[in-house]
Amino acid sequence: MKYKKSLVFSLITVLLFSLFLTGCGEKEVNQTDAPTTQKETQKTEKEDKKETVEVDIFQFKVEVAKALEEAAKVYEEEKGNVKINIQTVGGGDDYGAALRAKFQSRQEPDIFNVGGPQDVEDWMDTLEDLSDQPWVDLALPGMLSGATVDGKVYALPFNVEGYGFIYNKRIFKDAGIDVSQIKDFASLEKAVQELDGKIKAGDLKDKYPLLEAVFEMPAKERWVTGLHASNAALSQEFDSSIAAYEAKEIDFKYADAYKAIIDLQANYSANSETKDRLVAVDYATQVDEGLAIERVAMIQQGNWIYGGVYDIDPEVADNLDILPMPIQGGKEDCIPVGVPMHWSINTKSTPEKKEAAKDFLNWLYTSETGKDFVVNQFFFIPPFEGYEDLQPKDSLGKAVKRYSEEGKTTPWVFMGYPTAWGEDVLGVEIQKYLAEKVTWEELVEEVKTKWTESR
Amino acid sequence: MKKNKGWFILFVGPILLAFLVVQIIPIFIGMYYSFTDWDGIGNQANWVGLQNYIEIFTQDEGFLHAFAFTTIFAIVSVFIINIIGFGLALLVTKEMKGNNFLRGIFFMPNLIGGLILGFIWQFIFIKAFDWIGAQLGVSALQGWLSTTMTGFWGLVILMSWQLSGYMMVIYISALQGIPESLKEAAAIDGANYLQRLRHIIIPLVAPAFTVGIFLSLSNAFKLFDQNLALTNGGPYNSTQMLALNIYSTAFTYNKLGLAQAKAVIFLFTVAIITLTQLYYNKKKEVEM
Repeated sequence: MKYKKSLVFSLITVLLFSLFLTGCGEKEVNQTDAPTTQKETQKTEKEDKKETVEVDIFQFKVEVAKALEEAAKVYEEEKGNVKINIQTVGGGDDYGAALRAKFQSRQEPDIFNVGGPQDVEDWMDTLEDLSDQPWVDLALPGMLSGATVDGKVYALPFNVEGYGFIYNKRIFKDAGIDVSQIKDFASLEKAVQELDGKIKAGDLKDKYPLLEAVFEMPAKERWVTGLHASNAALSQEFDSSIAAYEAKEIDFKYADAYKAIIDLQANYSANSETKDRLVAVDYATQVDEGLAIERVAMIQQGNWIYGGVYDIDPEVADNLDILPMPIQGGKEDCIPVGVPMHWSINTKSTPEKKEAAKDFLNWLYTSETGKDFVVNQFFFIPPFEGYEDLQPKDSLGKAVKRYSEEGKTTPWVFMGYPTAWGEDVLGVEIQKYLAEKVTWEELVEEVKTKWTESR
Repeated sequence: MKKNKGWFILFVGPILLAFLVVQIIPIFIGMYYSFTDWDGIGNQANWVGLQNYIEIFTQDEGFLHAFAFTTIFAIVSVFIINIIGFGLALLVTKEMKGNNFLRGIFFMPNLIGGLILGFIWQFIFIKAFDWIGAQLGVSALQGWLSTTMTGFWGLVILMSWQLSGYMMVIYISALQGIPESLKEAAAIDGANYLQRLRHIIIPLVAPAFTVGIFLSLSNAFKLFDQNLALTNGGPYNSTQMLALNIYSTAFTYNKLGLAQAKAVIFLFTVAIITLTQLYYNKKKEVEM
């Protein structure tokens, strides 16, 4: 009995003690928190060269996470008094949700990413005006439009990306099709039909045993059909993402040409007889198990797939090139090129942190070391001047650069679509269309109404 | 009595406090936000009254569809999960070799996270089923997850596979709690196996059914990660369940206020349904 009592007693003391300790601990943190930050700022004001400034980066591009950390290390060594912490969360929705969580929990990063005009408006209160930065004057024409509001630049464009019909040069060559003549929809369709005929007749069976269709279409990835494909048509209607962002309604003038692009991909895919199954085809099936293993000859994708294809088959990767996405009746011989993401700086950070953050971004995109990282480690096509000596080395980067230099581009306007319109309205309607749940006319009607409703 | 109160505060107090801080208070904050047009970024949330709730029932077809889909899914999967779970429990409580090994195997799917399970099953449905279908010439096995029907059954299969093992464990402990003497007495009186099952075993494991049905019902309603990984609502958002619909309203459409209103409705529905179920099941339980 006595033993039991003493046991209970000791348990209670331990419990109470731990409660007391945790309570105390919290208080301690709270009390000391304020003075130290004050001290810190005082110190940095007095002797700012010696005190280390920490810059927190919260970014979204998984592909460059490692290289970015290396770049940060080099930068830290160069400066000596800056420490850069990088955190990466990939994917569209996930990044947005995670960034919100960061801000709500008061762990605000100093550098973060924003997409197009919609993002810029949403995050306006937290964006630092970067108009006075040296890179602003170096930007290529149109590259800052996505993050410019009332003449002020709020973010630094990541890179330039382009997409179109990426095709396997070897297959087209072996089929005897001359791609240099493909300049509009009619010639593209003709080439596709010719290749389709040869595949079905088994002419290419010996060399490409897996080859089963011209296209693979990932209707499950609504960003491919709803954002990217539709952009080809709507970029003929709007000349920038800002114009699209400000539009209260759309004409969808080139809806039929858009239909032609969708139908072309669906009709010459492996599922041409069972189109409803296309809605289960995803990115991996299209790229990794499609183009990369030479199961299909052509897909609608962008230069970002290079690394993935290279990992599977370097030879295929180096034999890729891009064909235009022709919109009948509009500008046909061109591909959509644009800025996918921007770097922005948190205006609520301390002045020291903001200075360091600006300096880091500036270093990354304008110093020789930084430029080398951007082009050769991140595999970015920089949206700035001054990169003449550093040319992209991969086949698709070169292709995008070629289109840009020849002026055969249309802008990315999908950044200016109403929130979720591209994927959750148009992308979903395309799935319904492929499954024959709606007709094309109903689809066009529905997406136009939804656009007007959300403005 | 006085002494009891002291113990109560000592032992329940800390947990109550934690529960208050991480559950009760957030629920009320959430309810507040459901009456605003908060977008999740700034701190400016304007009071809009009942507008969010009205919007859900008048304009948001997606939510009502998700509601119906989730309800059907919950009914079907509760039946299948508990029947399989109970069947497995009967199987592994029989005297035979490798019992414990089998229990481990059946329970194992429950240890894998929902997202991973979703992606594994996506591969099985899309790639493996397709291949088998092509080899055997059965077109019903091809094109899975590309129609609403196959998406629905895909989710049911995934969910049953994951949860049946867990329910099995609950039923095993209930089955082992039945005194041998009762079964023996019935056997001596000439009752065959089915009669013993129906009149002795099932009534005596009824408390376990209450728990099993409760868990599977609430899990089916709350299903999120499996839904996200397996179909992500596709094709054309027809397999989008409630939790996923709320998530996309919040983080794709940036309408956190509206999403919060949906979540409040969601909370009340799940609470009402599961509590009703508990009440009726409790009534059916028998005392030994």
